[in-house]
This record gives sequence, structure tokens and C-alpha cells, in this order.
Amino acid sequence: MKLPATSSSKAPVKFRMPTEDNLVPIRLDIETEGQRYKDAFTWNPSDPDSEVVVFAKRTVRDLKLPPQFITQIAQSIQTQLTEFRSYEGQDMYTAEKIVPIKLDLRVNHTLIKDHFLWDLNNYESDPEEFARTFCNDMGIEDPEVGPAVAFAIREQLYEIAIQSVASAREIKISKKGRRGAEHAISSKGGGNALDLMKLFRYNSSVVRKRKEWYVYEPIVDILSNEEVDALEAREDRNTR
Amino acid sequence: MAAKSPVKEPPGTSAVNPTTPLAPPPVKPELPSSSEPDVVNVPSYSRWFSFDSISECEVKFLPEFFDSRSPSKNPRVYRYYRDSIVKHYRENPSRKITFTDVRRTLVGDVGSIRRVFDFLETWGLINYFASVKTLKWEDKETKSSAASAESSSALKETSKRLCNGCKTLCTIACFACDKYDLTLCARCYVRGNHRVGVSSSDFRRVEISEEARSDWTEKETLQLLEAIMHFGDDWRKVAQHVSGKSEKDCITHFIKLPFGQEFVCKESDSEDVDNKFFSINNPSDAVSESENVGATSPSKRMRLTPLADASNPIMAQAAFLSALAGVEIAEVAARAAVTTLSDVDDRASKGSLMRNTRQQEAEVASNGDATQNALARASVDASSLIEKEELDVEKAISGIVEVQMKEIQDKIIRFESLDLQMEEEWKQLEQVKNLLFVDQLSVLFHKSNARKNGDRTEENVKTDVS
Repeated sequence: MKLPATSSSKAPVKFRMPTEDNLVPIRLDIETEGQRYKDAFTWNPSDPDSEVVVFAKRTVRDLKLPPQFITQIAQSIQTQLTEFRSYEGQDMYTAEKIVPIKLDLRVNHTLIKDHFLWDLNNYESDPEEFARTFCNDMGIEDPEVGPAVAFAIREQLYEIAIQSVASAREIKISKKGRRGAEHAISSKGGGNALDLMKLFRYNSSVVRKRKEWYVYEPIVDILSNEEVDALEAREDRNTR
Repeated sequence: MAAKSPVKEPPGTSAVNPTTPLAPPPVKPELPSSSEPDVVNVPSYSRWFSFDSISECEVKFLPEFFDSRSPSKNPRVYRYYRDSIVKHYRENPSRKITFTDVRRTLVGDVGSIRRVFDFLETWGLINYFASVKTLKWEDKETKSSAASAESSSALKETSKRLCNGCKTLCTIACFACDKYDLTLCARCYVRGNHRVGVSSSDFRRVEISEEARSDWTEKETLQLLEAIMHFGDDWRKVAQHVSGKSEKDCITHFIKLPFGQEFVCKESDSEDVDNKFFSINNPSDAVSESENVGATSPSKRMRLTPLADASNPIMAQAAFLSALAGVEIAEVAARAAVTTLSDVDDRASKGSLMRNTRQQEAEVASNGDATQNALARASVDASSLIEKEELDVEKAISGIVEVQMKEIQDKIIRFESLDLQMEEEWKQLEQVKNLLFVDQLSVLFHKSNARKNGDRTEENVKTDVS
């Protein structure tokens, strides 16, 4: 991972994904005529819009889905893109925020649970790189896990970025001069982020306490077929 | 937050971690596969591909990874995509991999993965066996696009145009919309891959190949020949050197160039003879004609060397045609072509050169294999022609040198005569100077005498008077 930005800037920044490449996480869940298509991937918002239709057609052709899916996929992608773009002009505050990211996903036969901290202020962070290293280190053989991990991280970062835009808007509305804004930020910032200053005071060490280790450990499970089926059935029941 | 896996699962291939590098030759001893794992078919126009490096071709067609506009798109990422896609395909070369398979396994944004995938597919590095089917599909599309296109005679000047839809280079024809300033390649236009607000009637057809099909001016021909001398077989560079012509145009024009009277005569003679020959023996007309072309085109190509090597699609065509017609026919045609060539050569230049080739041909003819014979003769013939040309060139050069020497000699003579003239004039000048000097002296002399005389006469006069 690259060096994080050291300054804690309290000035508003234009909205963007707090990662090195400004990619949008797109999730698709479409059901037509009894067929269900679920997918998740990352999209580059600077690609032209014609790309959306091309991609939709390609996917439908490759997966041999019925052609009604084309328009629906394209629409879904388009709406998510426009939503992303609507945030783009606005400001967001990013104080030095260390946020916990939780991974809890199942890809084919691999179950992954993990919990780690991520620096929101580091605009050079790269979820893709993290995913690649993760798969390498954990010896994961299924090549579909990498993108899923990257996607999960990106999605959570996206959510947090949206929240910070919303909070920036609130601050503007209830603005009581600069000092008020700063005060508001620091109080908001403590929401679910850890305050580094508190952690690294002189009398506490940087090393995590042993009893907390299990919380931050990655768990990778390979499931058998029956377990996969059982889990899938449960998920379907939950979503319906 | 749980991510759900996609419902439709492509048939499973053995999973390979995309980040571990494999050795460059595609040998996979651990994986059990029914077909031979060592043989991978790659079309000849993609010979540049190698796992270890990135070639110019890739830089040209996928510039987004190499122009450092985006921090995450760099050559390393490109190689990661490319290598993992190619390895994924080569695990099971008989199966066509789809873009969706691949993009699920690669970490990155789907737009750029798709472009790399399309690039590899177009160049036959993946899904190569399925090329026949896709060609048919593309033909249908171009036909329908021709039918529905609005033809307009406006031609634009730009040579390289990127399609807004699929971000590939537009080759044969493209459709431009001026309202929204879009350019689409034929495929994207047919598929309707433009933005929602734009309708297909807003586009007009811009033929790129026709732009350059207009006359070849002398300047361009010169440029073409220069470029071929410098770059030889590299048609891309040649096309770049010649302003405004595409590679195909360069190649076609070069083939059509008349390379001196002898060649034209030879071609027409050999073709006539061959036609007669085949009308006697006659397998089938179409085949023989095409065969003729096929058989003579390798020799034609060799005649045009040393400037240009046979570019691969043409050789492939020739090979294909000769394979189609059969070994015996190919042999007969080649033999006929070669014998007539040697006859004409004999008539034109009565040198021991031809005798040598005849001897060589005789030697070669004593060998067993049919096709080898024909090819060997053709190559012998080619080498003899090369020697002949070299001789001609030497003669020409010596002629030029002689002429120049004569010029210089003449100049020297002229200068000498000028020198002589100058000397004479100089001498004359000296003489005149001397005369002048003498005159001056005499004048002075006379002056002094005259003065004395004058004084004396004055005295005389005075004495006389007084």
C-alpha cells in the first residue's frame, strides 16, 4: 500500500472515490421471466455511455440470457452511474478517518470473513491491489474471489464517501461560521472512525492486544457442495 | 455486507491464480488435458506476441494503458490482464472463452478488461479456432450496414480514427455524427451502440479506404519506394511514411507498380503460355486460372524483391490456392511458369547466367519431390534474377560514374584554356606597361632636353636680340 497523506485536511474536497482509480462499484440483481441474474463488478465512470450497452449485450450473449435482459442491465448500470455522477460535483469532508472495513462474502465455494482498518484520506489506496495480495497470501485458488473482495471493499468505501457528502451538506446547512464547521466535523468524524490520537498516546502501544486478534484475523473457508446449496437457499429466502 | 455470487456459472475450468507467472512456452505438465498441451495455434500476423514483452502493436491499439493519463492503467496492469486472459484461454484451446468468464476472474474495471479482451480476440491470440464463424457474422453485419447506411460523398481527411463505441481503430468505414461529434465503427453503428439521444439517422458514412483510393501522385509513389527501401517488410512503417495511405493501399499499389519493361513482357508472356498450356490440359477453368494466379504470384512476388518481401496474407492466399488445387497442378503450373521465364530471359539477355540457372535447374530437377522441385526452381530463378539486377545496377552506376568523370575532365580543360587566356592577357598587360614606362621615360627625357633646349634657345634668342 502506498504512503497515506499525512495532513489531516479539514477543507472540503470534491467528491470522488477515495481510492487511486475512481471506479464505481456496480451491483446487478435482475429477475425476468423466472430467470435471475446477479452480478457485481467495478466500472470506470469515464468510459463513454455507449460502453454500457456494449457491455450489456456482451454479457447477455456470453451467458446466453434472454434478450430482455439487455435493456434492464443497461438501465440498471446507467442509473447507478448517474447516481454516482450526481455526487460528483459536491464536496465532502475527509478528515483523517480510519474506518473499519468488514468482509463477509461467499464466492462459489469460498467463504471469506475479514475485518481491517482502512485510511479514508489516502487517495492512493487501491482495493484491487489489496484483493490481489489477499488472494496470493491466503493461497486462494478460485480466481473469482479477487474481484469479489475488491468489489466489497469498494462498495463500503463508496457508502462511506456518500455519507461524508451528506454530512458535508448538513454542515453547510447548519453552518455557524468556520469554527462551528470544524467542531461539527470533529464530532462527526468520531462516528465510526477511530481517532488515531487516542490510540497512539504515549502510554498505549501500537501493537494490538492479544484478545483483539481474533477480531481482525482473516478467515477463509472452503465449503462443500451441500453447504453451498444450504447457504444459497437461505439467502434466497432472506431476500424474498 | 455479503456479496452474492452470480447465478449463471460458466463451465468450470481448472482454476489458475492469475497473478502467478508461468514460464513463457505454454507447457502445462500438471494439468490433465486430452489434446496436446504443447501446440497452440497463433495466426501469423500475431507473431509478435510474447509473454515477456509488450509490442508496438499493443501500444498502438490500446493506448490507454501507456499514456499515463490514469494512475491505475499502466503497462504492468495491462500485462496482468493480457497474460491472465491468454493463459486462461490456453488451458483449453478448443473451448471459446467469453468475456464474462474472464472479467469475473480479473481484478479491475470491466471497461478496460473488455478492450484488452477484444484486442486479443481480433488478433487471434484467443478463441482462434472460432474465427470462421465470427467472420460470417461480421459479413452479415457489414452487408446490413451497407443496406441501411446513408451514403454521402463527403470525405474526411483524418487517417486514424478511434470509434467512440468500442474504442478500436476504424478501418474500412466508419460513421460520423456531427451533431454530437461521435465516431462509430461499422459494428457499433449496426449494433446501435450510441448514446440514448442519438438516432441512427444522424450518422453519415465515411469511407476511410476510399479516401486514399484516389490517385497516387508521383510524390507519394516516391515516398512509397523510399519507405520500402528503408523499412522493407514493415508495412506499418511504410504506411506511416507515405502520408495518407493505409497499409493495404500501399501494398496493393506496390504490387501494381510497373517494374520495367522486361517484367511486364515476362508476365504477359508467361501468362499467355500458361493459359494455353492449361487450356490443353484443362482440369477446370476457374481452378486453373486461380491456380495460375496462385502459382505465378509467388514468382511475381519474388520478382519484385529485393525491395519487398511477400507479405503474409498474400503468401497465405497463394499457399491456400495451391493447396486447394492440388499438388500436381501446383507443380505443373510452377514448372510452366519457370520454364517460360527462363525462355524469355534467355531471349532477352544471352548470358552465361541463364545457362547457370538452367544447369542449376537441371540439378534441381533430378531431385525427387514435386513441390520441392517447383519451389527450388522458383528460388533459383529468383536468385538468378537478383544477380542480373545487381549486374544491371553495377553497369548503371559505372555509366553514371563515367559520365561524371567526363564532365569533370571537360571542366578541367575549360579551366586550363581560361588560365592560358589569362596568362596571355597578363603578358600583354605587362608589355603595355613596359611600353608605357618607356614612353614615360622618353617623355621625361625629352622634357628635360626640351627645357635645356628651351633655355639655350632663349639664351640664343637673347643673345641674338641683344
